[in-house]
Amino acid sequence: MTHTLQLALRRPHSHLTIATLTGDIDMHGAPVLRAQALEAIQQGPPHVVLDLTRVGFCDSSGLSALIGIWHAARAAGGSLSLAGAPDRLIRMLALTGVDSLLTVHATADDAVTAMTGS
Amino acid sequence: MTSQASAADPPPGRGAGRVPDPDVEAGRLSAVRRYDILDTPPDGAFDRIAALAGRLFDVPVATVTIVDSDRIWFKATHGLEGVKEIGRDPGLCGSAILRDDALVIPDTLHDPVAADNPLVAGEMGVRFYAAAPITTPEGHRLGTVNILDTKPRSITEDDIATLSDLAAIVMDEMELRLSALNALREEQERRTAESLHAERERARAEAERAAREQAEKDKAAIAAFASTLQRTLLPPALPVVPGLELACHYRTASVHDVGGDFYDVFPVDADRWAFFLGDVCGKGPEAATVTALARHTLRAAAQIDPDPVTVLSTLNTVLLTDVAAGSRFCTALFGLLTPHEGGDFTVTVASGGHPSAYHVRPDEGGSVWVKAVRPKGGMLIGAFPEAHFAESTFRLAHGEGLFLYTDGLTEARTAQGAMLGEDGLTGFLHQRTGSLTATALVDDTVTLLDALPEGVGDDVALLTLSVPDFESVPEAGVAATAHTTATPEHFGQE
Repeated sequence: MTHTLQLALRRPHSHLTIATLTGDIDMHGAPVLRAQALEAIQQGPPHVVLDLTRVGFCDSSGLSALIGIWHAARAAGGSLSLAGAPDRLIRMLALTGVDSLLTVHATADDAVTAMTGS
Repeated sequence: MTSQASAADPPPGRGAGRVPDPDVEAGRLSAVRRYDILDTPPDGAFDRIAALAGRLFDVPVATVTIVDSDRIWFKATHGLEGVKEIGRDPGLCGSAILRDDALVIPDTLHDPVAADNPLVAGEMGVRFYAAAPITTPEGHRLGTVNILDTKPRSITEDDIATLSDLAAIVMDEMELRLSALNALREEQERRTAESLHAERERARAEAERAAREQAEKDKAAIAAFASTLQRTLLPPALPVVPGLELACHYRTASVHDVGGDFYDVFPVDADRWAFFLGDVCGKGPEAATVTALARHTLRAAAQIDPDPVTVLSTLNTVLLTDVAAGSRFCTALFGLLTPHEGGDFTVTVASGGHPSAYHVRPDEGGSVWVKAVRPKGGMLIGAFPEAHFAESTFRLAHGEGLFLYTDGLTEARTAQGAMLGEDGLTGFLHQRTGSLTATALVDDTVTLLDALPEGVGDDVALLTLSVPDFESVPEAGVAATAHTTATPEHFGQE
């Protein structure tokens, strides 16, 4: 059984939200991720880093959610980047060419550094 | 002892002439009803008590009576044949039940009330009468145990006690009878309740069965609908392409899901042919609309400009602008086949984020040379306006094949539990020893899938193309075959 996807949000910089995900981004977790990430983008800074270090599994519904979030962030003048993505997701991003738009970093700190230039 | 008992020496008329107290009588009658003994058939126990009384007191007649509202009914008689009941005339039983103790009338002719009783004044000519009331634990007097004689006589205190004991035995007997009756009633009620319960259970089971049947009918209808829909999404059969052998296979992981895999082969102009194979992200009716849109767009776009990258770009634009499609994407390979004089084909394949196709040919060592057709940079279709697509061109020669698949194949689990993966698939293709015809490639892959312990978790679509060997080409012209196994395999099996 997959356990419910959990999102913990923090804001290390005024213009940046880091969401740490725990659980699986499958057909059950994907809608949770999409809804909470879109809400965060609407309410706060549009630049979002998703820390996927604690995500075990991400299937094509997860990929759909990521693309939806990417669109929302970009429409709001922000961006989406990933950190610590599981191998299968990295392969899926490469295969679908999505990695050319959605940058993947090793860690959330790397992502923050890349975005803030600090 | 012949002295007359005090109880047997009432003042004239004592008790005998009393009118029953209405409340006491109402309670008494309700007790009589409760014991439910009136008009019951003869009963050995009561008959024996009457007979015992007759013998004990040496009297010709002994009876056990129950006093109803308007009659005195004989439950048991000894020495009094053919009498079932008498009127509730005062004097004897009618008077005896109005008192707590025994009534003894040594000589009825000396009792002014008893003297007028039909039993005394009539044919029977009763002269002696003694009765003990049959009294319930609550104090209701239901009737009496009586002894009668045609001669006056006197009885002792002990005799009266014996008569009272007999009345108490009658009462015990009636209690036993009542509890047996109650037990029987409870048993009947229990049985009635049980049969009612069983009836309800049957009705419930019947309703459940009907609901289950309906659900199964619905399920079958939905599956049939899905199957029909699926058939409309797939080409009914592959066309015959001169000089090329084609084969395909399609299976759904679940009978309930309308899958998002699609493929087709069709002519572009007089010489050239196009083929595609793709996979819409997601399942169900929403995915099916994207599947249909993708198929029709690819066919229509190729009529305008068959360049594979252009076709995929058109599909990307259409999916992004289509309202119904929303945020649905697909991956696809689109290829253009151009025949040459010698029978080879030039193949240009563009990829939109789809797993590589495999170009296969026999190698010198007797196994198979496998080359991934992987145009660099092809992106998911319908997700990004700025998506770019890439194509690569190669020559498909005699004896060579092209293998296209959806990721349900590489994501299928092997006996070790791991996904087959691209490495597993290329290894499988590399180790094949049979011919590289389109039909053999599909057949062998189907055999591989069927051998997987868990089956496939996702839909699988396969499309293969091959150019026949020189030796198998008929001298008069080119081979033209198409092998289609496009029927969704799982339908109708569950």
